Amino acid sequence: MLALHMPEGAAFTFLVLFVVVLAGPAIMTRARIPGIIGLLIGGWAIGPHGLGLIGNGNQTVPQLGQLGLLYLMFVAGLELDLGVLSVYRRSAVAFSLITFTLPFVGGLVVGEILGFPTAAAVLLGSLLASHTLITYPMIRDAGLSGNPAVATAVGATVLTDTISLVVLAGVSGTQTGSGSTGSIFLQLAVGLAVLVGFSLVVLPRVAVWIYKRLGADRSVRFLVAMISFLAAATLAEVFSIEGIVGAFFAGLALNRLVPNEGQTMHRIDFFGSTVFVPIFLVSTGLLLDPSVMFRLETMKFAGLFLVACVGGKTIATVLSRTVIKVSWHESGLMFVLTTPQAAATLAATTVGFEIGLFSTTVVNAVLVLILVSIVMSTALTPPFVRGVEVPAAAEPELGERVVLAVHAAEPSRTATQIAARLARRDGGVVDTVLVRHSGEGRVDRGPVDALSDLATREGFDGEVHVAIDRSSAQAVVRAANDLGASLVVVDGDLDGDDGPLGATHWDETLASTIPVPLVLVSSGGDGIRRVLLPRADPDQVEPAAAFVQALAQFLARGDVAELDDGPDWAAGLRPGDVVVMAVASVDLVVGLPTPPPGAAVVAVPASTVAHWHPHPDVAES
Amino acid sequence: MIIAGVVRDGTTSRGSAAHPRGYPPRGHGRRDPVQYGPAVASEGGVGAVLRRWALVAAGIALAVPAGCGRSSLANSAGRFEPAHAGALTVATAFLPAAGFWEGEAPDPSGGFERDLAHALADRFDVGSVVVVPVAFGDLVGGDLGGADLALSELTPTDERDEVLDFSTPYLVAPPGVLARPGIEAVDVADLQPLRWVAVAASTLTDVVDDRVRPDDDPLVVDTRTEALQALDDGRADVMLLDLPVALAQAKAAPDRYRVLAQLSGPEGLAAALPDGSDNLQAVDSAIRAFLADGTIERLSKRWLGADLGSAADDVPLIRTEE
Repeated sequence: MLALHMPEGAAFTFLVLFVVVLAGPAIMTRARIPGIIGLLIGGWAIGPHGLGLIGNGNQTVPQLGQLGLLYLMFVAGLELDLGVLSVYRRSAVAFSLITFTLPFVGGLVVGEILGFPTAAAVLLGSLLASHTLITYPMIRDAGLSGNPAVATAVGATVLTDTISLVVLAGVSGTQTGSGSTGSIFLQLAVGLAVLVGFSLVVLPRVAVWIYKRLGADRSVRFLVAMISFLAAATLAEVFSIEGIVGAFFAGLALNRLVPNEGQTMHRIDFFGSTVFVPIFLVSTGLLLDPSVMFRLETMKFAGLFLVACVGGKTIATVLSRTVIKVSWHESGLMFVLTTPQAAATLAATTVGFEIGLFSTTVVNAVLVLILVSIVMSTALTPPFVRGVEVPAAAEPELGERVVLAVHAAEPSRTATQIAARLARRDGGVVDTVLVRHSGEGRVDRGPVDALSDLATREGFDGEVHVAIDRSSAQAVVRAANDLGASLVVVDGDLDGDDGPLGATHWDETLASTIPVPLVLVSSGGDGIRRVLLPRADPDQVEPAAAFVQALAQFLARGDVAELDDGPDWAAGLRPGDVVVMAVASVDLVVGLPTPPPGAAVVAVPASTVAHWHPHPDVAES
Repeated sequence: MIIAGVVRDGTTSRGSAAHPRGYPPRGHGRRDPVQYGPAVASEGGVGAVLRRWALVAAGIALAVPAGCGRSSLANSAGRFEPAHAGALTVATAFLPAAGFWEGEAPDPSGGFERDLAHALADRFDVGSVVVVPVAFGDLVGGDLGGADLALSELTPTDERDEVLDFSTPYLVAPPGVLARPGIEAVDVADLQPLRWVAVAASTLTDVVDDRVRPDDDPLVVDTRTEALQALDDGRADVMLLDLPVALAQAKAAPDRYRVLAQLSGPEGLAAALPDGSDNLQAVDSAIRAFLADGTIERLSKRWLGADLGSAADDVPLIRTEE
């Protein structure tokens, strides 16, 4: 006789989990329902109120769900565009206050009606006031990401979610802490201050230090990100603040260090969207209880929550027209962006449940709210999108995707630093392209690996590519176009024709096929210590003159020296000197003198910056 | 955002090469408000709105601390209606039980579950606690003798779940190895040659047979009392008990028993309520609140000598095949 065992244990638990993670969204999206619903329903299906495959006593899934929640909040902070907030800060701040306050007050009123204690009503208000940008991909794909109303709503999300989490920290602290209310709030204030200081000051510095010391392996970068949010969450809990607040701040702190386009972000996104976050959603689905959800009391709660949330958000978007001049359709876009309840709502509800403030009825009512808000917003987005004119495509920031074209495994420090600084300023990435022409034969793996190490050391977070074409210059052009470059930095000899990336390989026609600025850097530069600019030439063509002026100001952090423009100006250069100049045509680059060892000349052909717009912030130090 | 990525149809999030993520790419916001910023009603208009809403938000923020104390949680955390007005009636099968129920019904003097019952009564604002002894067999069969709930070192099982409703576990309860003084073991190989005693009706008997696999068949007795007697007599060296119970026994009689180790297991001790009880949500919320605010930790350390709210980190773990 066969002695078979009922499936149980870790292997079975994870099997069931990952089947749900795979199948849940797939089934729902076929029905044109957001995948998040599939994960929640899948969690119900396998949980104690469904098939019972994950029992009440299972600790593994809830604990993994906790980790997933921390991860979710970390990535929420990581992906938020602080640049948008800085551009639209006045309207974003004003709108965030309105779109937080009205649903928050609505939640307080609903809590009062339902007889909740104040702490529960406050927590309810804060979770109704938060929102998740579920509909943003639809709006982005319609070409409206640059619309001021959209950008304002996106920028407001930073503040709204931060305020919600701070309120959550306050409520949780008062419910789980001992001592007087005053001492609890003092502890919370100190804890938040320490957390902010740790996240914004300590974490980025430590991360950069580790990247430079251990960052040869990209896995290290991913692990540093993981350690960062777990450390911040742990620190938060030391002060009795919910760990998700720490995780969120850690994401904000590492925002600039982890470009959205980079490899690290791809890894974080991969693990998050494949493992951690879906498990959190499934673990939340374990709480779904149809016997509770379809009770009159639950439906009553859900109805009131919906009125407070949707009503508050609706009034907020209508009132927003007093803050920014937008059309009714644009107001509608702001509504569908700020109404969906998901991540932050789930986080606050989970915490409220775990500290005993919320019952299963409240949790199920919130899940109804989440389902309805997501489906409603998703359905309303297309008509609002159709009513808004698509703006002209926004010009990318210079540093969004810098292509560094090199021929050797060790490019000059000057070229490397120019690329790195521009990318870092704009939160972008540097893609290094090893250039060869077709007559050079097979590409040895060695230089590619060396360039990978260099990229990691310099914190480029981009990839290394190999480009081969009939000529080196043509390879650069093709790579730049293929990669969607925002700026091309070429490290090569500017004078002679013996260098593979020398200026003689370029001609005006070829250079004009690059739609972004081309920056030719002479090889051998030993970094950037002093930046020099030739005296202003009234014959110089705009906007090239403005471009080099702005570039020099940025590289020199505002302290640009004037170049002695005598016939032997190059001879007077010292190691670390960088001369930035515009040239009317590519041909003129060939005639530039060779700088002494350690110094560099940066030449910008005017034809490649013909379409560049003067950008005030390029001059920021 | 990842949550948006989950929402999408599973294809890679590639809008355009410059916008692969669910947010506007960083740095794409134009920084020249003259050329690209939103048209504001007026500079003074935005500022005025900002000031107005900031005042509203600050007012709310200041009002919040005033009300954020502990008060009745009936409507958000579930309502509790006692079976007998003015008292929380608690059933238990083991009275006295070292560390859990000390003294006698109807008013035991101490113990973890006794103090937990009083904490529940305080939270539900029902005044007093009345303890009712009920036979273990009746309890696990769904008969609580008219009590509101049972606190009786109960572990939820599928069978018991059919006739009872269980709260969130308030103590982790993996199998604990209780031994006579002088017995040592650090791994399964050390456990196997020892003389084992097991209680016939206990779920832990299967754990002994399936995971420890002693060299000799265990001595099987009918009750826990007989099993402890076998240890005292020297007829057995070790037995398995739920870890909290083992710790309580060892704390009550340290010269007779010691807890060698724990085996891994997801079990916990939970409050049992009559099947379909309307009080389940309230009791459940209460247990979670006690876990969050340190009440369980405090009681556990006082009566059991260890914090068993979420994990028994102080007791060595012996890994076995599961």
